[in-house]
Amino acid sequence: MALPKRIIKETERLMAEPVPGITAVPHEENLRYFDVTVDGPSQSPYEGGTFKLELFLPDDYPMTPPKVRFLTKIYHPNIDRLGRICLDVLKSNWSPALQIRTILLSIQALLGAPNPDDPLANDVAQRWKEDQNAAIQTAREWTAQYAKV
Amino acid sequence: MSDNGVVLGLEGRVGLSAHEDARALVRLIQCSQCSRPLRTPVTLPCGHSVCRDCLPQPHQRENISYPDTPDRQTGVRCPVRLCEQEHPVGEVNVDVTLAKIMELVCTMVDKARTNAELCPTLVTELLAKDDLLSEKESETEKMDEGRSNTFYGGRLLSTFTMAELGELDFRADVRYESLSDNEDQYRQLDLELLEEIRETTQKELDCQICYNAMLDPVTTSCGHTFCRRCLTRVLDHSSYCPACRRSLPIPPSLSQQQSNERIKSLLNNLCPETIAARAEAVALEESSGIGELNVSLFVCTLSFPQMPTFLHIFEPRYRLMIRRAAESNRQFGMLMYNRSRTSQGDLGVTDYCMYGTMLHIQHLQMLPDGRSIIETRGLHRFKVLETGMRDGYIVGRIERVEDVSLAEEERLEAEEIRVHTQPPDSPMEPESNESSNGNGRSNNNRPDVDSLTTRQLLERAMDFIVEMRGNSAPWLHQRILDAYGEPPTDPANFPYWFASVLPIADEQKYLLLTTTSVRQRLKIVVGWIRRLEDQRW
Ligand SMILES: [Zn+2]
Ligand SMILES: [Zn+2]
Ligand SMILES: [Zn+2]
Ligand SMILES: [Zn+2]
Repeated sequence: MALPKRIIKETERLMAEPVPGITAVPHEENLRYFDVTVDGPSQSPYEGGTFKLELFLPDDYPMTPPKVRFLTKIYHPNIDRLGRICLDVLKSNWSPALQIRTILLSIQALLGAPNPDDPLANDVAQRWKEDQNAAIQTAREWTAQYAKV
Repeated sequence: MSDNGVVLGLEGRVGLSAHEDARALVRLIQCSQCSRPLRTPVTLPCGHSVCRDCLPQPHQRENISYPDTPDRQTGVRCPVRLCEQEHPVGEVNVDVTLAKIMELVCTMVDKARTNAELCPTLVTELLAKDDLLSEKESETEKMDEGRSNTFYGGRLLSTFTMAELGELDFRADVRYESLSDNEDQYRQLDLELLEEIRETTQKELDCQICYNAMLDPVTTSCGHTFCRRCLTRVLDHSSYCPACRRSLPIPPSLSQQQSNERIKSLLNNLCPETIAARAEAVALEESSGIGELNVSLFVCTLSFPQMPTFLHIFEPRYRLMIRRAAESNRQFGMLMYNRSRTSQGDLGVTDYCMYGTMLHIQHLQMLPDGRSIIETRGLHRFKVLETGMRDGYIVGRIERVEDVSLAEEERLEAEEIRVHTQPPDSPMEPESNESSNGNGRSNNNRPDVDSLTTRQLLERAMDFIVEMRGNSAPWLHQRILDAYGEPPTDPANFPYWFASVLPIADEQKYLLLTTTSVRQRLKIVVGWIRRLEDQRW
């Protein structure tokens, strides 16, 4: 099946006007599959880290949201051990007017503002609530250990 | 698509040219009411756009109970001569795309004014003849001259300025006289201005869903515009506006919705090549589907829009069908058996009934032995037009079954209520037939269903549910509610829920699939309730 105009345009724009701290490069053999990197936001425990993700545009994109997953290990209450992300715009709040760019920005924002009240990784969220400083310290250590290029 | 013919007619047409067609270009953004460039434009359900301030004051509407929202209880009389219908206030909102375009155009025009001093143009209004008189006077070739004034700039800018000052009637033509002898400079100014406008507005004329120039644009009640086919696809998945997430009036009877005429003509006149190419591509895509049996059909059970259907797939042919669906758009059509062997229209006597529901696979659980358990959700109703076989299962060509527009829905209700609430001193003779015997009451001292407002019909059904719950009716057991959810408060979908839980014959429930209005469905539901209460079943 030919690649829809929308995906071609989105990809072109991502290349032409990249988002600071974010890269997204499509695979040559499958243009719906992107290698993504997101830099940890400054002032966050993920600062200084570069996180790898994979992003896939399903057949009925943009009617359904892209599928995104962290490949780099990360200690975050809304990201589980398999890298799955708990983010409303990737699920019920998806809208076809959103795009790859906005989704990646939301993910970057999620790194800057962990939300332990809406957890995906329950143990992490628990620790985040009980001892935030210790949790942030662990997040820093993981960043240093896994997310330094 | 109703509009394809018109769009296809554009093949080979070139856009309006900046200098020669300056008058027509300005008309594209002129209000048909005040003749000024559109200010805070609203696009009405009839597809026409006018300034918000050019609408008359809203008035109270009568005999409308559904959709019961405050913004539909008041209406405005459409000022556009071709329409003059009553539009509910809720469907009259600022057209976001047009408003943005007008803002950009005004910015470009202001910019163009700074280097226009050297090009004075005398513009004279040539009045349009009254439609009635035009034939009679067509012999006297010359048109009546109207207002006349000198403006600075090329034709485009001076015509815009004339319209802005309210000195150029929407229907009037114009005559130009350049008051400096540098004709080339005028032409150059026009070309530059139009090119700038074309460039800056292009992005606004792109659909936010497919990223193409909008094809057959339709505008939601919240004022956002998309290609008709893009919006239709969106509404298969959710009932929210993709741009602002406001909930859209359901049922989405998009096929009856008017195109946004203003945006359509902007596109057709500014970039006809793009639109023609796009229309051609779409027509090709669709014609390859016509005559092609492109929907997989599963003859098994009765399903309804919005409602879940759980299926256990074990027959190999259906395993294949489901697997194929799961790999493509996750959809297939569900039809129920034609147990009574009644004739299905043009199809004759078939094993299945001709009306069905498209299902979307929500969860698919593959068992190790190849069987699968799937949870689906109903999308929309359809009617089978033609069928064939593919690898053991039925495939077909289908047509969506949609409700009439909300305006028509309201008209149907208002009319029925009016007939049934004749004033007591009405000179009309009481009729003898049961459906309207004098005071609108049937034998049982129950009001005729036709005399109930749509809202009352829904309330009657809701009351029945409450009553049955009080009686611990087994068909309202928690287990059933867990599967089908609480009764939807949306009158459009309530009947589907009700039919999903109510223990009556599928042949009765099937009638809902053939309906074309919310009111019609609710009347069927109340009919069932009455028969249950009379224990006629
Ligand atoms: Zn109208
Ligand atoms: Zn106006
Ligand atoms: Zn579109
Ligand atoms: Zn909207």
